[in-house]
Amino acid sequence: MIHLEDIRITFNANTILENKALRGVSLTVPERQFVTIIGSNGAGKSTLLGAVSGETPISGGRVEIDGVEVTKWPVHKRARYAARVFQNPLAGTCATLTIEENMALAHGRGKRRGWRLALSSRRRRLFQERISILGLGLEDRLGDSIGLLSGGQRQAVSLVMATLSDSHLLLLDEHTAALDPRMAAFILDLTNTVVEEFGLTVMMVTHSMKDALASGDRTVMLHQGKIVFDVSGEERERLDVPHLLQMFSKVRGEELADDSLLLG
Amino acid sequence: MSLFAFLGTLEIGLVYGLVALGVYLTFRVLDFPDLTVDGSFPMGGAVAATAIVAGVNPWLATGLAVLAGAACGLVTAFLAVRCGILHLLASILTMIAAFSINIRIMGRPNMALLGEPTIFTPFDNLGWDQLYVHLGLVFLLVLFSALFVVRLLSSDFGLALRATGVNERMVAAQGGSIGFYTYFGLALSNGFVGFSGALFAQSNSFADVTSGVGTIVVGLAAVILGQTLIPGRRIWVAVTAVIVGSILYRLAVAFALSTGMFGMQASDLNLITAVLVAIALIAPKMKGKVRLKAVTR
Repeated sequence: MIHLEDIRITFNANTILENKALRGVSLTVPERQFVTIIGSNGAGKSTLLGAVSGETPISGGRVEIDGVEVTKWPVHKRARYAARVFQNPLAGTCATLTIEENMALAHGRGKRRGWRLALSSRRRRLFQERISILGLGLEDRLGDSIGLLSGGQRQAVSLVMATLSDSHLLLLDEHTAALDPRMAAFILDLTNTVVEEFGLTVMMVTHSMKDALASGDRTVMLHQGKIVFDVSGEERERLDVPHLLQMFSKVRGEELADDSLLLG
Repeated sequence: MSLFAFLGTLEIGLVYGLVALGVYLTFRVLDFPDLTVDGSFPMGGAVAATAIVAGVNPWLATGLAVLAGAACGLVTAFLAVRCGILHLLASILTMIAAFSINIRIMGRPNMALLGEPTIFTPFDNLGWDQLYVHLGLVFLLVLFSALFVVRLLSSDFGLALRATGVNERMVAAQGGSIGFYTYFGLALSNGFVGFSGALFAQSNSFADVTSGVGTIVVGLAAVILGQTLIPGRRIWVAVTAVIVGSILYRLAVAFALSTGMFGMQASDLNLITAVLVAIALIAPKMKGKVRLKAVTR
Protein backbone atom coordinates (compact mmCIF):
# COMPACT_ATOMS: atom_id res chain seq x y z
CA MET A 1 0.00 0.00 0.00
CA ILE A 2 1.15 3.51 -0.80
CA HIS A 3 -0.16 6.48 1.12
CA LEU A 4 0.77 9.99 0.05
CA GLU A 5 -0.39 12.89 2.16
CA ASP A 6 -0.36 16.47 0.95
CA ILE A 7 2.86 16.10 -1.03
CA ARG A 8 4.43 19.41 -2.02
CA ILE A 9 7.51 19.67 -4.17
CA THR A 10 9.07 22.93 -5.23
CA PHE A 11 12.12 23.04 -7.47
CA ASN A 12 14.53 25.98 -7.15
CA ALA A 13 12.57 27.42 -4.24
CA ASN A 14 12.94 31.16 -3.67
CA THR A 15 14.66 31.77 -6.98
CA ILE A 16 13.45 33.25 -10.22
CA LEU A 17 13.21 29.69 -11.59
CA GLU A 18 10.91 28.56 -8.79
CA ASN A 19 8.67 25.78 -10.01
CA LYS A 20 5.92 24.26 -7.90
CA ALA A 21 5.90 20.77 -9.39
CA LEU A 22 3.44 19.32 -6.87
CA ARG A 23 1.01 21.48 -4.91
CA GLY A 24 -0.48 19.23 -2.29
CA VAL A 25 -1.16 15.79 -3.75
CA SER A 26 -2.83 13.15 -1.58
CA LEU A 27 -3.23 9.67 -2.94
CA THR A 28 -3.78 6.26 -1.38
CA VAL A 29 -3.11 3.18 -3.46
CA PRO A 30 -4.42 0.07 -1.70
CA GLU A 31 -2.81 -3.36 -1.94
CA ARG A 32 -3.00 -4.90 -5.43
CA GLN A 33 -4.38 -1.81 -7.09
CA PHE A 34 -2.98 -0.78 -10.47
CA VAL A 35 -3.13 3.00 -10.85
CA THR A 36 -2.29 4.72 -14.11
CA ILE A 37 -1.22 8.34 -13.94
CA ILE A 38 -1.66 10.72 -16.86
CA GLY A 39 -1.19 14.42 -17.46
CA SER A 40 0.47 16.79 -19.86
CA ASN A 41 4.17 17.67 -19.84
CA GLY A 42 5.18 19.25 -16.57
CA ALA A 43 2.01 18.15 -14.81
CA GLY A 44 4.09 16.44 -12.13
CA LYS A 45 3.58 12.77 -13.03
CA SER A 46 7.18 11.65 -12.82
CA THR A 47 7.79 13.94 -9.86
CA LEU A 48 5.00 12.13 -8.01
CA LEU A 49 6.67 8.81 -8.69
CA GLY A 50 9.97 10.34 -7.56
CA ALA A 51 8.32 11.27 -4.27
CA VAL A 52 7.45 7.62 -3.69
CA SER A 53 10.84 6.23 -4.73
CA GLY A 54 12.73 8.94 -2.85
CA GLU A 55 14.53 10.24 -5.91
CA THR A 56 12.84 13.64 -5.66
CA PRO A 57 13.21 15.27 -2.24
CA ILE A 58 9.85 16.59 -1.06
CA SER A 59 9.31 20.02 0.47
CA GLY A 60 6.25 19.03 2.46
CA GLY A 61 3.94 16.13 3.19
CA ARG A 62 4.20 12.49 4.21
CA VAL A 63 5.04 9.31 2.33
CA GLU A 64 3.99 5.95 3.73
CA ILE A 65 4.71 2.58 2.17
CA ASP A 66 3.10 -0.55 3.65
CA GLY A 67 2.25 1.41 6.77
CA VAL A 68 5.83 2.58 7.38
CA GLU A 69 6.64 6.26 7.16
CA VAL A 70 9.52 6.60 4.70
CA THR A 71 9.39 10.37 4.13
CA LYS A 72 13.00 10.84 5.22
CA TRP A 73 14.43 7.59 3.80
CA PRO A 74 17.01 7.68 1.00
CA VAL A 75 16.33 5.97 -2.34
CA HIS A 76 18.31 2.81 -1.58
CA LYS A 77 16.48 2.16 1.67
CA ARG A 78 13.05 2.53 0.06
CA ALA A 79 14.14 0.13 -2.68
CA ARG A 80 13.34 -2.82 -0.42
CA TYR A 81 9.64 -1.98 -0.80
CA ALA A 82 9.43 -0.99 -4.43
CA ALA A 83 10.84 -2.16 -7.75
CA ARG A 84 11.17 0.39 -10.51
CA VAL A 85 11.37 0.45 -14.29
CA PHE A 86 12.62 3.67 -15.85
CA GLN A 87 11.71 5.46 -19.05
CA ASN A 88 15.25 5.13 -20.37
CA PRO A 89 15.98 1.41 -20.93
CA LEU A 90 19.67 2.12 -20.32
CA ALA A 91 18.98 3.44 -16.82
CA GLY A 92 17.45 0.30 -15.35
CA THR A 93 20.23 -2.12 -16.22
CA CYS A 94 24.00 -2.13 -15.94
CA ALA A 95 25.45 -2.25 -19.47
CA THR A 96 28.83 -3.78 -18.68
CA LEU A 97 27.42 -6.66 -16.62
CA THR A 98 25.91 -9.80 -18.12
CA ILE A 99 22.17 -10.52 -18.15
CA GLU A 100 22.49 -12.95 -15.27
CA GLU A 101 24.63 -10.53 -13.25
CA ASN A 102 21.99 -7.84 -13.69
CA MET A 103 19.38 -10.32 -12.53
CA ALA A 104 21.50 -11.28 -9.54
CA LEU A 105 21.76 -7.62 -8.63
CA ALA A 106 17.96 -7.32 -8.74
CA HIS A 107 17.58 -10.59 -6.84
CA GLY A 108 19.42 -8.97 -3.94
CA ARG A 109 17.21 -5.88 -3.81
CA GLY A 110 16.29 -5.12 -0.23
CA LYS A 111 18.50 -7.91 1.12
CA ARG A 112 21.91 -7.71 2.75
CA ARG A 113 24.57 -8.18 0.10
CA GLY A 114 27.25 -10.44 1.45
CA TRP A 115 30.14 -12.68 0.56
CA ARG A 116 28.03 -15.36 -1.15
CA LEU A 117 28.73 -15.98 -4.83
CA ALA A 118 26.37 -13.84 -6.91
CA LEU A 119 25.85 -16.61 -9.43
CA SER A 120 25.10 -20.10 -8.19
CA SER A 121 23.63 -22.86 -10.33
CA ARG A 122 20.42 -22.61 -8.32
CA ARG A 123 20.08 -18.91 -9.06
CA ARG A 124 20.92 -19.46 -12.71
CA ARG A 125 18.06 -21.96 -12.97
CA LEU A 126 15.69 -19.44 -11.37
CA PHE A 127 16.83 -16.69 -13.75
CA GLN A 128 16.48 -18.99 -16.74
CA GLU A 129 12.98 -19.97 -15.75
CA ARG A 130 11.87 -16.38 -15.15
CA ILE A 131 13.38 -14.93 -18.30
CA SER A 132 11.95 -17.66 -20.52
CA ILE A 133 8.42 -16.20 -20.11
CA LEU A 134 9.58 -13.35 -22.36
CA GLY A 135 9.84 -15.72 -25.30
CA LEU A 136 12.83 -13.77 -26.60
CA GLY A 137 15.27 -16.64 -26.39
CA LEU A 138 17.29 -14.84 -23.73
CA GLU A 139 17.38 -17.90 -21.48
CA ASP A 140 20.26 -19.22 -23.59
CA ARG A 141 22.11 -15.91 -23.52
CA LEU A 142 22.33 -15.28 -19.77
CA GLY A 143 26.11 -14.89 -20.00
CA ASP A 144 25.91 -12.16 -22.66
CA SER A 145 26.55 -8.56 -21.73
CA ILE A 146 23.21 -6.80 -21.36
CA GLY A 147 24.60 -3.91 -23.36
CA LEU A 148 24.23 -6.12 -26.46
CA LEU A 149 20.43 -6.16 -26.14
CA SER A 150 18.08 -3.66 -27.77
CA GLY A 151 16.27 -1.05 -25.69
CA GLY A 152 13.06 -3.04 -25.77
CA GLN A 153 14.77 -6.26 -24.73
CA ARG A 154 16.49 -4.46 -21.87
CA GLN A 155 13.15 -3.04 -20.76
CA ALA A 156 11.67 -6.55 -20.84
CA VAL A 157 14.54 -7.85 -18.70
CA SER A 158 14.05 -4.89 -16.32
CA LEU A 159 10.46 -6.00 -15.81
CA VAL A 160 11.52 -9.56 -15.04
CA MET A 161 14.18 -8.15 -12.69
CA ALA A 162 11.48 -6.22 -10.85
CA THR A 163 9.84 -9.51 -9.87
CA LEU A 164 12.96 -11.26 -8.55
CA SER A 165 12.75 -9.77 -5.08
CA ASP A 166 9.80 -10.21 -2.73
CA SER A 167 8.44 -6.66 -2.69
CA HIS A 168 4.93 -6.16 -4.05
CA LEU A 169 5.22 -2.61 -5.29
CA LEU A 170 6.07 -1.65 -8.83
CA LEU A 171 6.76 1.92 -10.00
CA LEU A 172 6.71 2.39 -13.77
CA ASP A 173 7.89 5.73 -15.11
CA GLU A 174 6.74 5.96 -18.75
CA HIS A 175 8.51 2.67 -19.27
CA THR A 176 7.23 2.23 -22.85
CA ALA A 177 7.76 5.82 -24.03
CA ALA A 178 11.21 5.27 -25.51
CA LEU A 179 10.26 2.15 -27.50
CA ASP A 180 8.89 1.59 -30.99
CA PRO A 181 5.11 0.95 -31.07
CA ARG A 182 5.39 -2.83 -31.51
CA MET A 183 7.86 -3.20 -28.65
CA ALA A 184 5.84 -0.78 -26.52
CA ALA A 185 2.74 -2.95 -26.97
CA PHE A 186 4.76 -6.05 -26.09
CA ILE A 187 6.14 -4.46 -22.92
CA LEU A 188 2.69 -3.27 -21.86
CA ASP A 189 1.27 -6.78 -22.36
CA LEU A 190 4.15 -8.17 -20.38
CA THR A 191 3.53 -5.63 -17.63
CA ASN A 192 -0.08 -6.75 -17.29
CA THR A 193 0.96 -10.42 -17.22
CA VAL A 194 3.60 -9.83 -14.56
CA VAL A 195 1.33 -7.68 -12.41
CA GLU A 196 -1.39 -10.34 -12.58
CA GLU A 197 0.94 -13.24 -11.85
CA PHE A 198 2.72 -11.69 -8.89
CA GLY A 199 -0.24 -9.72 -7.51
CA LEU A 200 1.60 -6.40 -7.56
CA THR A 201 0.54 -2.95 -6.47
CA VAL A 202 1.42 -0.61 -9.33
CA MET A 203 1.79 3.08 -10.08
CA MET A 204 2.27 3.58 -13.81
CA VAL A 205 3.00 6.96 -15.35
CA THR A 206 2.16 7.18 -19.03
CA HIS A 207 1.75 9.69 -21.84
CA SER A 208 -0.77 7.53 -23.65
CA MET A 209 -4.41 8.00 -22.63
CA LYS A 210 -5.23 4.75 -24.42
CA ASP A 211 -2.72 2.79 -22.33
CA ALA A 212 -3.87 4.56 -19.19
CA LEU A 213 -7.42 3.32 -19.69
CA ALA A 214 -6.55 -0.10 -21.11
CA SER A 215 -4.32 -1.14 -18.21
CA GLY A 216 -4.97 -1.14 -14.52
CA ASP A 217 -8.09 -0.41 -12.51
CA ARG A 218 -7.82 3.25 -11.62
CA THR A 219 -6.73 6.37 -13.48
CA VAL A 220 -5.53 9.61 -11.97
CA MET A 221 -4.96 12.79 -13.95
CA LEU A 222 -2.51 15.41 -12.78
CA HIS A 223 -2.53 18.99 -13.94
CA GLN A 224 -0.18 21.69 -12.75
CA GLY A 225 0.84 19.70 -9.72
CA LYS A 226 -2.64 18.73 -8.56
CA ILE A 227 -4.92 15.76 -9.03
CA VAL A 228 -7.72 17.00 -11.27
CA PHE A 229 -9.61 13.77 -11.48
CA ASP A 230 -9.50 10.26 -10.19
CA VAL A 231 -11.68 7.54 -11.71
CA SER A 232 -12.08 3.85 -11.01
CA GLY A 233 -14.67 1.10 -11.20
CA GLU A 234 -17.72 1.42 -13.42
CA GLU A 235 -17.21 5.08 -14.14
CA ARG A 236 -13.80 4.22 -15.56
CA GLU A 237 -15.18 1.31 -17.58
CA ARG A 238 -17.44 3.73 -19.41
CA LEU A 239 -14.63 6.14 -20.22
CA ASP A 240 -12.92 6.13 -23.59
CA VAL A 241 -10.14 8.26 -24.99
CA PRO A 242 -12.38 10.97 -26.55
CA HIS A 243 -14.16 11.31 -23.21
CA LEU A 244 -10.87 11.59 -21.41
CA LEU A 245 -9.65 14.21 -23.87
CA GLN A 246 -12.85 16.11 -23.32
CA MET A 247 -12.34 16.07 -19.56
CA PHE A 248 -8.78 17.10 -20.06
CA SER A 249 -9.64 20.08 -22.24
CA LYS A 250 -12.38 21.04 -19.79
CA VAL A 251 -9.76 21.22 -17.03
CA ARG A 252 -7.51 23.30 -19.19
CA GLY A 253 -10.39 25.36 -20.53
CA GLU A 254 -11.50 26.43 -17.07
CA GLU A 255 -8.02 27.53 -16.37
CA LEU A 256 -7.98 29.51 -19.62
CA ALA A 257 -11.22 31.16 -18.59
CA ASP A 258 -9.58 32.08 -15.31
CA ASP A 259 -6.69 33.58 -17.18
CA SER A 260 -8.92 35.57 -19.50
CA LEU A 261 -10.75 36.91 -16.47
CA LEU A 262 -7.49 37.95 -14.93
CA LEU A 263 -6.20 39.50 -18.12
CA GLY A 264 -9.53 41.06 -19.01
CA MET B 1 70.12 -7.69 -18.16
CA SER B 2 71.68 -9.93 -15.52
CA LEU B 3 69.64 -12.62 -13.78
CA PHE B 4 70.07 -10.66 -10.55
CA ALA B 5 68.63 -7.52 -12.11
CA PHE B 6 65.86 -9.53 -13.80
CA LEU B 7 64.69 -11.17 -10.57
CA GLY B 8 64.85 -7.82 -8.78
CA THR B 9 62.72 -6.26 -11.51
CA LEU B 10 60.19 -9.11 -11.23
CA GLU B 11 59.95 -8.55 -7.50
CA ILE B 12 59.39 -4.79 -7.86
CA GLY B 13 56.85 -5.51 -10.59
CA LEU B 14 54.96 -7.84 -8.26
CA VAL B 15 55.11 -5.36 -5.37
CA TYR B 16 53.64 -2.70 -7.65
CA GLY B 17 51.14 -5.30 -8.81
CA LEU B 18 49.32 -4.54 -5.54
CA VAL B 19 49.22 -0.86 -6.54
CA ALA B 20 47.85 -1.96 -9.91
CA LEU B 21 45.19 -4.00 -8.09
CA GLY B 22 44.23 -0.93 -6.08
CA VAL B 23 44.15 1.35 -9.12
CA TYR B 24 42.08 -1.26 -10.98
CA LEU B 25 39.51 -1.17 -8.16
CA THR B 26 39.13 2.61 -8.22
CA PHE B 27 39.87 3.50 -11.82
CA ARG B 28 38.09 0.59 -13.52
CA VAL B 29 35.59 -0.88 -11.05
CA LEU B 30 34.40 2.27 -9.27
CA ASP B 31 35.20 4.70 -12.11
CA PHE B 32 36.73 6.96 -9.45
CA PRO B 33 40.10 8.37 -10.59
CA ASP B 34 41.93 8.30 -7.27
CA LEU B 35 45.28 10.03 -6.79
CA THR B 36 45.31 9.20 -3.08
CA VAL B 37 47.74 6.37 -3.91
CA ASP B 38 50.61 8.88 -4.19
CA GLY B 39 50.08 9.46 -0.48
CA SER B 40 48.97 6.03 0.73
CA PHE B 41 51.94 4.23 -0.86
CA PRO B 42 54.62 6.11 1.13
CA MET B 43 52.32 6.02 4.15
CA GLY B 44 52.35 2.22 4.01
CA GLY B 45 56.15 2.33 3.97
CA ALA B 46 56.36 4.97 6.70
CA VAL B 47 54.01 3.13 9.06
CA ALA B 48 55.67 -0.25 8.50
CA ALA B 49 59.18 1.15 8.93
CA THR B 50 58.35 3.18 12.03
CA ALA B 51 56.56 0.25 13.65
CA ILE B 52 59.39 -2.17 12.85
CA VAL B 53 62.05 0.18 14.22
CA ALA B 54 59.89 0.57 17.34
CA GLY B 55 60.08 -3.21 17.78
CA VAL B 56 56.70 -4.26 16.42
CA ASN B 57 56.46 -7.64 14.70
CA PRO B 58 57.02 -7.06 10.93
CA TRP B 59 53.76 -8.84 9.96
CA LEU B 60 51.80 -6.75 12.42
CA ALA B 61 53.62 -3.65 11.13
CA THR B 62 52.56 -4.58 7.60
CA GLY B 63 48.98 -4.98 8.82
CA LEU B 64 49.13 -1.49 10.35
CA ALA B 65 50.40 -0.17 7.01
CA VAL B 66 47.34 -1.68 5.29
CA LEU B 67 45.06 0.03 7.82
CA ALA B 68 46.86 3.36 7.35
CA GLY B 69 46.42 3.11 3.58
CA ALA B 70 42.75 2.26 4.02
CA ALA B 71 42.35 5.29 6.29
CA CYS B 72 43.71 7.53 3.50
CA GLY B 73 41.09 6.06 1.19
CA LEU B 74 38.35 6.74 3.73
CA VAL B 75 39.42 10.40 3.98
CA THR B 76 39.19 10.79 0.20
CA ALA B 77 35.80 9.05 0.17
CA PHE B 78 34.59 11.34 2.95
CA LEU B 79 35.65 14.44 1.02
CA ALA B 80 34.02 13.17 -2.17
CA VAL B 81 30.83 11.57 -0.84
CA ARG B 82 30.00 13.59 2.23
CA CYS B 83 31.42 16.97 1.25
CA GLY B 84 30.67 16.66 -2.47
CA ILE B 85 34.17 17.59 -3.62
CA LEU B 86 35.06 16.45 -7.16
CA HIS B 87 36.73 13.01 -6.82
CA LEU B 88 39.98 14.01 -8.50
CA LEU B 89 40.33 17.08 -6.29
CA ALA B 90 39.35 15.20 -3.13
CA SER B 91 42.10 12.66 -3.75
CA ILE B 92 44.68 15.36 -4.47
CA LEU B 93 43.86 16.97 -1.11
CA THR B 94 44.40 13.69 0.71
CA MET B 95 47.60 13.06 -1.20
CA ILE B 96 49.04 16.47 -0.30
CA ALA B 97 48.03 16.11 3.35
CA ALA B 98 49.55 12.62 3.51
CA PHE B 99 52.97 14.00 2.59
CA SER B 100 53.11 16.04 5.81
CA ILE B 101 51.60 13.24 7.86
CA ASN B 102 54.18 10.76 6.57
CA ILE B 103 57.02 12.99 7.78
CA ARG B 104 55.26 13.25 11.15
CA ILE B 105 54.92 9.47 11.35
CA MET B 106 58.61 8.84 10.74
CA GLY B 107 59.79 12.04 12.42
CA ARG B 108 61.99 12.67 9.38
CA PRO B 109 61.70 12.42 5.59
CA ASN B 110 63.27 8.97 5.32
CA MET B 111 64.16 6.02 7.45
CA ALA B 112 66.57 3.09 7.00
CA LEU B 113 65.56 -0.47 7.84
CA LEU B 114 69.03 -1.99 7.51
CA GLY B 115 69.59 -4.67 10.13
CA GLU B 116 65.97 -4.53 11.26
CA PRO B 117 63.79 -7.63 11.06
CA THR B 118 61.35 -7.71 8.15
CA ILE B 119 58.73 -10.20 6.96
CA PHE B 120 61.52 -11.70 4.83
CA THR B 121 63.95 -12.28 7.75
CA PRO B 122 62.57 -15.65 8.97
CA PHE B 123 63.05 -17.09 5.47
CA ASP B 124 66.57 -15.75 5.00
CA ASN B 125 68.25 -18.40 7.13
CA LEU B 126 66.70 -21.46 5.50
CA GLY B 127 69.67 -21.92 3.23
CA TRP B 128 67.85 -21.00 0.01
CA ASP B 129 68.94 -18.23 -2.30
CA GLN B 130 67.66 -15.03 -0.74
CA LEU B 131 66.65 -13.54 -4.07
CA TYR B 132 64.31 -16.42 -4.92
CA VAL B 133 62.91 -16.51 -1.40
CA HIS B 134 61.98 -12.82 -1.49
CA LEU B 135 60.46 -13.18 -4.93
CA GLY B 136 58.51 -16.27 -3.85
CA LEU B 137 57.11 -14.63 -0.72
CA VAL B 138 56.05 -11.50 -2.60
CA PHE B 139 54.50 -13.71 -5.29
CA LEU B 140 52.44 -15.59 -2.70
CA LEU B 141 51.22 -12.38 -1.03
CA VAL B 142 50.21 -10.90 -4.39
CA LEU B 143 48.53 -14.17 -5.37
CA PHE B 144 46.41 -14.24 -2.19
CA SER B 145 45.49 -10.58 -2.68
CA ALA B 146 44.47 -11.22 -6.28
CA LEU B 147 42.40 -14.27 -5.30
CA PHE B 148 40.67 -12.21 -2.62
CA VAL B 149 39.77 -9.48 -5.12
CA VAL B 150 38.48 -11.99 -7.69
CA ARG B 151 36.34 -13.74 -5.08
CA LEU B 152 35.06 -10.45 -3.65
CA LEU B 153 34.02 -9.10 -7.04
CA SER B 154 32.16 -12.35 -7.77
CA SER B 155 30.06 -12.06 -4.62
CA ASP B 156 26.70 -10.34 -4.16
CA PHE B 157 28.52 -7.47 -2.51
CA GLY B 158 31.14 -7.24 -5.25
CA LEU B 159 28.51 -7.24 -7.96
CA ALA B 160 26.95 -4.12 -6.45
CA LEU B 161 30.44 -2.61 -6.13
CA ARG B 162 31.04 -3.21 -9.85
CA ALA B 163 27.65 -1.78 -10.82
CA THR B 164 28.34 1.36 -8.75
CA GLY B 165 31.00 2.46 -11.22
CA VAL B 166 28.66 2.03 -14.19
CA ASN B 167 25.11 2.96 -13.21
CA GLU B 168 24.66 4.64 -9.83
CA ARG B 169 20.96 5.24 -10.34
CA MET B 170 20.34 1.57 -10.93
CA VAL B 171 22.35 0.49 -7.90
CA ALA B 172 20.33 2.85 -5.70
CA ALA B 173 17.09 1.54 -7.23
CA GLN B 174 18.25 -1.98 -6.35
CA GLY B 175 18.82 -0.98 -2.75
CA GLY B 176 22.58 -0.34 -2.78
CA SER B 177 24.04 2.71 -1.07
CA ILE B 178 26.41 4.44 -3.50
CA GLY B 179 28.12 6.25 -0.63
CA PHE B 180 28.86 3.04 1.23
CA TYR B 181 30.32 1.28 -1.80
CA THR B 182 32.51 4.30 -2.54
CA TYR B 183 33.85 4.31 1.04
CA PHE B 184 34.49 0.59 0.91
CA GLY B 185 36.08 0.59 -2.54
CA LEU B 186 38.46 3.43 -1.73
CA ALA B 187 39.46 1.92 1.60
CA LEU B 188 40.14 -1.47 0.01
CA SER B 189 42.06 0.04 -2.91
CA ASN B 190 44.28 2.18 -0.69
CA GLY B 191 44.69 -0.71 1.73
CA PHE B 192 46.36 -2.65 -1.09
CA VAL B 193 48.48 0.37 -1.95
CA GLY B 194 49.56 0.72 1.71
CA PHE B 195 50.39 -3.00 1.68
CA SER B 196 52.49 -2.45 -1.43
CA GLY B 197 54.29 0.47 0.24
CA ALA B 198 55.07 -1.69 3.27
CA LEU B 199 56.48 -4.50 1.10
CA PHE B 200 58.49 -1.99 -0.93
CA ALA B 201 60.04 -0.50 2.20
CA GLN B 202 60.95 -3.91 3.66
CA SER B 203 62.28 -5.23 0.39
CA ASN B 204 64.46 -2.16 -0.18
CA SER B 205 65.32 -1.56 3.49
CA PHE B 206 64.19 2.03 3.56
CA ALA B 207 61.09 4.21 3.63
CA ASP B 208 61.02 7.61 1.99
CA VAL B 209 58.25 10.22 1.71
CA THR B 210 59.17 10.98 -1.87
CA SER B 211 58.77 7.33 -2.93
CA GLY B 212 55.08 8.05 -3.57
CA VAL B 213 55.60 10.51 -6.39
CA GLY B 214 54.10 9.09 -9.57
CA THR B 215 52.59 6.00 -7.94
CA ILE B 216 49.27 6.68 -9.69
CA VAL B 217 51.00 6.85 -13.07
CA VAL B 218 52.78 3.55 -12.45
CA GLY B 219 49.47 1.99 -11.37
CA LEU B 220 47.65 3.37 -14.39
CA ALA B 221 50.45 2.23 -16.68
CA ALA B 222 50.10 -1.30 -15.28
CA VAL B 223 46.31 -1.35 -15.60
CA ILE B 224 46.20 0.11 -19.08
CA LEU B 225 49.19 -1.82 -20.43
CA GLY B 226 47.90 -5.08 -18.94
CA GLN B 227 44.33 -4.70 -20.11
CA THR B 228 45.43 -3.66 -23.60
CA LEU B 229 47.64 -6.73 -23.97
CA ILE B 230 45.28 -9.14 -22.18
CA PRO B 231 41.76 -7.97 -22.97
CA GLY B 232 38.79 -9.72 -21.42
CA ARG B 233 35.71 -8.91 -19.44
CA ARG B 234 36.03 -11.74 -16.92
CA ILE B 235 37.24 -10.60 -13.52
CA TRP B 236 40.05 -13.10 -13.11
CA VAL B 237 41.36 -12.16 -16.55
CA ALA B 238 41.30 -8.45 -15.69
CA VAL B 239 42.99 -8.99 -12.32
CA THR B 240 45.69 -11.17 -13.88
CA ALA B 241 46.11 -8.61 -16.65
CA VAL B 242 46.81 -5.67 -14.34
CA ILE B 243 49.41 -7.62 -12.34
CA VAL B 244 51.08 -8.87 -15.50
CA GLY B 245 50.89 -5.28 -16.76
CA SER B 246 52.77 -4.12 -13.69
CA ILE B 247 55.56 -6.66 -14.25
CA LEU B 248 55.79 -5.88 -17.97
CA TYR B 249 55.93 -2.18 -17.24
CA ARG B 250 58.87 -2.71 -14.87
CA LEU B 251 60.63 -4.95 -17.38
CA ALA B 252 60.13 -2.43 -20.17
CA VAL B 253 61.51 0.36 -18.04
CA ALA B 254 64.46 -1.71 -16.80
CA PHE B 255 65.23 -2.78 -20.35
CA ALA B 256 65.08 0.75 -21.72
CA LEU B 257 67.35 2.02 -18.96
CA SER B 258 69.83 -0.85 -18.73
CA THR B 259 70.68 -1.35 -22.38
CA GLY B 260 71.49 2.29 -22.79
CA MET B 261 70.82 1.80 -26.46
CA PHE B 262 68.54 4.80 -26.71
CA GLY B 263 70.97 6.84 -24.66
CA MET B 264 68.50 6.77 -21.74
CA GLN B 265 69.36 7.65 -18.18
CA ALA B 266 67.50 7.01 -14.91
CA SER B 267 65.96 10.48 -14.89
CA ASP B 268 64.19 9.71 -18.18
CA LEU B 269 61.93 7.28 -16.30
CA ASN B 270 58.96 9.65 -16.14
CA LEU B 271 59.18 10.40 -19.85
CA ILE B 272 59.31 6.69 -20.70
CA THR B 273 56.32 6.05 -18.43
CA ALA B 274 54.26 8.85 -19.96
CA VAL B 275 55.04 7.63 -23.48
CA LEU B 276 54.20 4.01 -22.56
CA VAL B 277 50.85 5.00 -21.00
CA ALA B 278 50.01 7.26 -23.94
CA ILE B 279 50.72 4.45 -26.40
CA ALA B 280 48.65 1.99 -24.38
CA LEU B 281 45.77 4.48 -24.29
CA ILE B 282 45.93 5.28 -28.00
CA ALA B 283 46.43 1.71 -29.24
CA PRO B 284 42.88 0.41 -28.57
CA LYS B 285 41.39 3.48 -30.27
CA MET B 286 43.58 2.98 -33.34
CA LYS B 287 42.52 -0.67 -33.46
CA GLY B 288 38.85 0.41 -33.32
CA LYS B 289 39.34 2.96 -36.09
CA VAL B 290 41.03 0.48 -38.38
CA ARG B 291 38.18 -1.96 -37.78
CA LEU B 292 35.58 0.76 -38.42
CA LYS B 293 37.25 1.65 -41.72
CA ALA B 294 37.29 -1.98 -42.79
CA VAL B 295 33.57 -2.26 -42.04
CA THR B 296 32.49 0.94 -43.77
CA ARG B 297 34.44 0.03 -46.84
